[in-house]
Amino acid sequence: MKRGLVTVAAAISLFAVAALIPRYVDGGVLRLMSEVLLGIALAQMWNLLAGYTGLLSLGHQLFVGAGAYTLFEATQRLGLAPYWALPLSGLVGALLAALLAPALFRLRDAYFSIGMWVFAEIGALLVSKTPSLGATSGRTLDLSQLGEVEAFQAISFWIAAAIGIGSVVGVLALMRSRLGLALLTVRDNELAAGSIGVDVWRVRFPALVISGFGCALAGGAYFMGAMFVSPDSAFDINWVVMMMFATLIGGIGTLEGPLIGVLVWFALRELLTGPVQLQGGWYLMVMGGVAMAVSLFAPRGLWGWAQQRWGWRGWSVRREPPASVLASSGRAGQSAAGVAPVGSQDARRHSGRAA
Amino acid sequence: MDWIATAVNGALLGGLYGLFGLGLALVFGVMRVVNLAHGEFIVAGAYLGVYLVAALPQLPPWLMVLPVALAGYALGWGLQAGVVNRALQGGDLLRPLMLTFGLSVVLRNGMVQAFGADSRAIDGGELTRAGIDIAGLRIGLYPLLVLLLAAVLFAALHWLLKHSAFGRTVRATADLPEVARLMGVSPGRVFNRVMGLSIAFAMLAGFLLAQRTLFTPFSGVERMLIAFEVVILGGLGSFWGALAGGVVLGMAQLLGQKFDSNAGPLYAHGVFVATLLLLPRGLAGDRR
Repeated sequence: MKRGLVTVAAAISLFAVAALIPRYVDGGVLRLMSEVLLGIALAQMWNLLAGYTGLLSLGHQLFVGAGAYTLFEATQRLGLAPYWALPLSGLVGALLAALLAPALFRLRDAYFSIGMWVFAEIGALLVSKTPSLGATSGRTLDLSQLGEVEAFQAISFWIAAAIGIGSVVGVLALMRSRLGLALLTVRDNELAAGSIGVDVWRVRFPALVISGFGCALAGGAYFMGAMFVSPDSAFDINWVVMMMFATLIGGIGTLEGPLIGVLVWFALRELLTGPVQLQGGWYLMVMGGVAMAVSLFAPRGLWGWAQQRWGWRGWSVRREPPASVLASSGRAGQSAAGVAPVGSQDARRHSGRAA
Repeated sequence: MDWIATAVNGALLGGLYGLFGLGLALVFGVMRVVNLAHGEFIVAGAYLGVYLVAALPQLPPWLMVLPVALAGYALGWGLQAGVVNRALQGGDLLRPLMLTFGLSVVLRNGMVQAFGADSRAIDGGELTRAGIDIAGLRIGLYPLLVLLLAAVLFAALHWLLKHSAFGRTVRATADLPEVARLMGVSPGRVFNRVMGLSIAFAMLAGFLLAQRTLFTPFSGVERMLIAFEVVILGGLGSFWGALAGGVVLGMAQLLGQKFDSNAGPLYAHGVFVATLLLLPRGLAGDRR
């Protein structure tokens, strides 16, 4: 419980810092920070699906695009200020995920990845064929309902901060819930999870819906800040490239991994395009090289590597068995906070309770 | 009549799409690796072709399929021996995925730096403009030859895998690498050759397609999507299914374009989704 309090306190102080930031930094930095925060949310949501349920999506740009277009459309049609249209973005993302889930879950592994990607392509093509949505040339955000335009940037940043911090806290809370335990067992061994009574479908469905919700929300917030959206930018495969890079570099299936990965991604980008002054293409090549190097030398990602090397635990979502279980089984809880055993212990305990 | 001609052209284009998928299916079938850089190799084949055709104007362009395929084999072999085999250790499927993902980013942007982002095409000479008339239908000679070549390559690969000693070791390694190793097969070496073949098919197909359509360094992504759709339509692990999947996809794409000119590949994607929903295991089906 003490850890829980610490987490809550940390989250509150982060929100407090976020509240003050727009006073002290200029617009460009603010925009970059929003991007980082939304990137964190996107990577967390992608990781929720790929890291915990083993569903590697190559089509999450669908939710980003859906969220963005919902925001732009709702702002114009309903005459809302953009912020109030944002919840709608999330809802549409969740709805879309729920509608596609029955079809997608019939597909396995690579089939799922490509099925998802094809749905994203279909979404992009449908939007670029619809003149009322701006077709291929895109559209600008309707700012007529906006009271004070000066505060827009600060409010956009606050929303990005809320989404970014909220995604981390939300996933942490989720992982500590019953559903989270089920997700962890499915991550570690789908077959074993099924055999101890975890309904794999009923675990994956909420994960996909939450993932769709979060990505659509973040996508809506991103394009709200950009004030312009086009099918090419909203349904860009590079959204998934970023989510995947961040998650894999940081460490898939962990809470800290996507966070670290996003920071590495943006730090590299700013460093290479700023002080080092590499041209666009070269910096992307360095990024690709980093991904290759990590896959060869730190296959569990940077966070996994740090865990293995220094025994860092971070926000552990591992459940400590009660003392009585410890005494009877002896082995549980003994192994260091290593990488591989973390989840398997969750599964072991779960099976212990079921038996 | 127009519609029939379009359908026939689509089927002919499908031969190329089948080749795209073939390399991907081969690597997936043998190593369980999804090569995310496949599309970039397809485009690399096209660029290599551009330079070969420009450097050797006295030779007919179609002759360049040989050096392009050989270069592909060497590249694939080197890639597998150099890095992918290392990532395969431990049996974690994410490692090779991440590796090829990084490689695709490096290759794509490397090609932008080396060749620029302009779209290009290869002039295939007289052959690509020739056509023959069959029962009132005008059919391009070049697409027909490409489909024949694809069928020959499919048959050759089929024979190689089913009836040669190399094919036996490949199938054994695909089934159980550990047991194959006990029998004196080195899985790493088998993988090197398989990746070589896969990239050779990819670059060959990329070169052939470049004589029909424009390409840029960014075309790799959509070509890879086509390759994936072909493999999945056909059913993972089925080679002839990949050819059938390519033909279905090619026809859907060209018929869709004729029906609705600004739809792009929308109808091809639609056919893909519909097939998957009705036949989740693809056309040929994986019976496991």
